[in-house]
Amino acid sequence: MLPQRFDQAKPFATLGIVLLAWLLIPTAVKRFARAGFFELQAPMETAASYVRDIQGYWALKTRTKDELIEAGRDLVRLNAAYESRLQQDASVRTELERLERILRLPTPAGFRAEPARVVRRDFSSWWQQLVIRKGRNYGITVGSPVIYAGGVVGRVTEVHAYTSVVELIGSPGVRIAATTEGDTRPISYQGAVNPTYGPAFGTVEYVPLDVFVTATNPQRLVTSGLGGVFPPNLTIGYMTRVEPSSDGLFKSGEVRLDAALSSLNEVTVLVPEAKDTGAR
Amino acid sequence: MKNRVLILTAASLLLALLLGQLNHYLAAWQIHVWCGGLFVTFAALRLSYGTGAAAVFAAGLLLDAGDPVTFGTQGFIFLAAHAVIFNIRARAPRDETVVGVVIALLANLGMFLALSFLRIDPVVEPARSWMRAFADLLVSQIALALIAPWFFSVQTRLLELTGNPLRDLSRRAY
Repeated sequence: MLPQRFDQAKPFATLGIVLLAWLLIPTAVKRFARAGFFELQAPMETAASYVRDIQGYWALKTRTKDELIEAGRDLVRLNAAYESRLQQDASVRTELERLERILRLPTPAGFRAEPARVVRRDFSSWWQQLVIRKGRNYGITVGSPVIYAGGVVGRVTEVHAYTSVVELIGSPGVRIAATTEGDTRPISYQGAVNPTYGPAFGTVEYVPLDVFVTATNPQRLVTSGLGGVFPPNLTIGYMTRVEPSSDGLFKSGEVRLDAALSSLNEVTVLVPEAKDTGAR
Repeated sequence: MKNRVLILTAASLLLALLLGQLNHYLAAWQIHVWCGGLFVTFAALRLSYGTGAAAVFAAGLLLDAGDPVTFGTQGFIFLAAHAVIFNIRARAPRDETVVGVVIALLANLGMFLALSFLRIDPVVEPARSWMRAFADLLVSQIALALIAPWFFSVQTRLLELTGNPLRDLSRRAY
């Protein structure tokens, strides 16, 4: 029989040995194991999201016909407004292409919009992420920007067989090149803190000194398009406070993010399309 | 041993799925429940060392797969917590549910703080980040205290149903 002191140390000795063995395991094996564990859980989470959708469907079935007629009327109005915007877009696009031809500018790569339902929201003090119901089966790629009606949601960090993981812009690890609306000077945006019972917020750095905002007069922060990940002019949030940074050359401050980010059910992934390499 | 590990991993999978659904709904209020203590306590208190360690490590890897952490982080945090609880279990009436709940709460507290120290950026708004972390911890502890008796019971019944009762192990150290 082993002495008692060794018996007590055995769990910790085993822990050390397992840790050492773990460090020696090749990365490819760990990556394979991780994917395996993720895919093991994915069907159950996806099934749960389908159940939620069915619940939503039956909840909608309880609505009266008057409510449906009202919703239909609102949709017709929205469609009319969007039709008008589409026509304006088409004329702007034609003009843009004409100018690009005259100036011989390279055409930026486009995006394919891929709407996807949210399987799981996972917002902690450590990370902010969504799992969506589309993955490699829809050609989603790592790094693709993800948007919703209110602006930027985040970017795809992992792509699995039928699901993808999206890191939210409120997540502390996310950095985006931004500008204030109507300006072209770049600002650095970073996700920060997500307080309980309130909307998430981020921080901004390198804000030009002539930018003034207050909580009552916030300024819209949009993507700059620099870096090529996010298309330009997508809303990130609203700058509610800026103050001179310690170096005195720029300002830094806070950005309030949309509260709707916490309850998203559907998002759109912008899958980058291959660049047109044909000669112009 | 293999059967017990598989059964406890299945129970952990069920718990992870349920907590994932709970967190999905709580996300609207920016609240997150993390019950790592539940994945560890039963295995550390009631099973042999090898079986328990394998089950909690598998549970940790299961959580790691879905979270943006280095694969193995929660696995090793669970394994460390398992080693501590296993060492002290002879001094407590470990068959009692209340004792299990208290140990699960303490383990959850320790592991939550360990994970927070690993994940919270000390540069970006640390004070507010810790405030949020403590709010999550409070809700997590309340949720854990409510779920723990049910989850311990699920694990016990699953082992019994699959022909692996605990009686023969309950007073054996290894």
